[in-house]
Amino acid sequence: MVQFTLPKNSKIKKGKEWNPPAVDADPDRWREYRVYRYDPEGGENPRVDTYWVDMNDCGPMVLDALIWIKNKIDPTLTFRRSCREGVCGSCSMNIDGTNTLACTMHAEEAQGAAIAIYPLPHMPVVKDLVPDMTQFYAQHREIEPWLKTDSPTPQKEWRQSHEDREKLDGLYECILCACCSTACPSYWWNGDRYLGPAVLLQANRWVEDSRDERTGERLDDLEDPFRLYRCHTILNCTKACPKGLNPAAAIANLKRKMVERL
Amino acid sequence: MTDKLEAERPLSPHLQIYRPMLTMLMSIAHRITGASLAVGFALLTWWLVAVSMGPEAYASVQSFFGSLIGRALLFAFTWALIHHMLGGIRHLIWDTGTGLDKVTIERFALGTIVGSVVLTILVWLAAYNVMGGL
Repeated sequence: MVQFTLPKNSKIKKGKEWNPPAVDADPDRWREYRVYRYDPEGGENPRVDTYWVDMNDCGPMVLDALIWIKNKIDPTLTFRRSCREGVCGSCSMNIDGTNTLACTMHAEEAQGAAIAIYPLPHMPVVKDLVPDMTQFYAQHREIEPWLKTDSPTPQKEWRQSHEDREKLDGLYECILCACCSTACPSYWWNGDRYLGPAVLLQANRWVEDSRDERTGERLDDLEDPFRLYRCHTILNCTKACPKGLNPAAAIANLKRKMVERL
Repeated sequence: MTDKLEAERPLSPHLQIYRPMLTMLMSIAHRITGASLAVGFALLTWWLVAVSMGPEAYASVQSFFGSLIGRALLFAFTWALIHHMLGGIRHLIWDTGTGLDKVTIERFALGTIVGSVVLTILVWLAAYNVMGGL
């Protein structure tokens, strides 16, 4: 259901200023970060802590700054990261007002003087910048993201023409970071029933796969006022995707397939 | 213990922190104009009822719509109608699967804003032209 305000236990309190630089410090050298913190053991509401990162000592990416803070200032700061090159999708979070990957975003790209960092929006928070992704993964499982066939398995590989293979470009690259889904207001309000852009892009990836033989069944499963049609083409998904993919176009394609088979 | 922790997990902020974008605002504007059309058509219904009720009722409605507030309401209604119509055309184009790339969506958003204002003014100029003066 639509609830524009945050529940009582989620309201953000003012946090701590960890390492304010000296008054006469070079302002170009110290970059201010305001980071969402939540400690599940303290029983207190989330807060926003302020850190200053020494840009003479830190790499250019936002993830570098988070690691710098964790190493040098506050070892309790918690976030997910792995590949540090935009391949694994672990460090997705809301940076400077937009969902993206901390590892591929230059700190210099931020518009705000202080760089604000929050977990992916409208998600249950496990700790600090770590959201609970259980439902997101369950929804991905629900669209059965694997090749489904009835024909006997061929001796070698399942064949596919170059043209058919090209139809998967712009779909297979998705790393399931959930930047798009958690940028979508429809997913915020109806995430329990609407599948969201990331999962629908995956659904489209299997609908478009020439080797898959259950296309009709897949479309049947999506034919629902909520699962697919809660997409109102708000387009936050396409604007957020750090891989430059277009979930909105993938969803439009699914809607068109629905009409075409009538 | 795990269940208790899960139940107490806070919800991360959403509307409060997401940077507003033109495309997102156009989506909200499409909804608001759509809902406000219901109010606009109530005005139209009021006018039609007054027409059927006779010269006195008609005169009082006409004087309201002729007033500054009445005209402002009608002007807003015209803009909402045109804005919503252009938004609807945008959605029809998107439903064909085209115009969803990042460059085109920004052009559509700007086009809807500029187009709705220009068309509204044109409609009013035409109306004043036909009706004869202010």
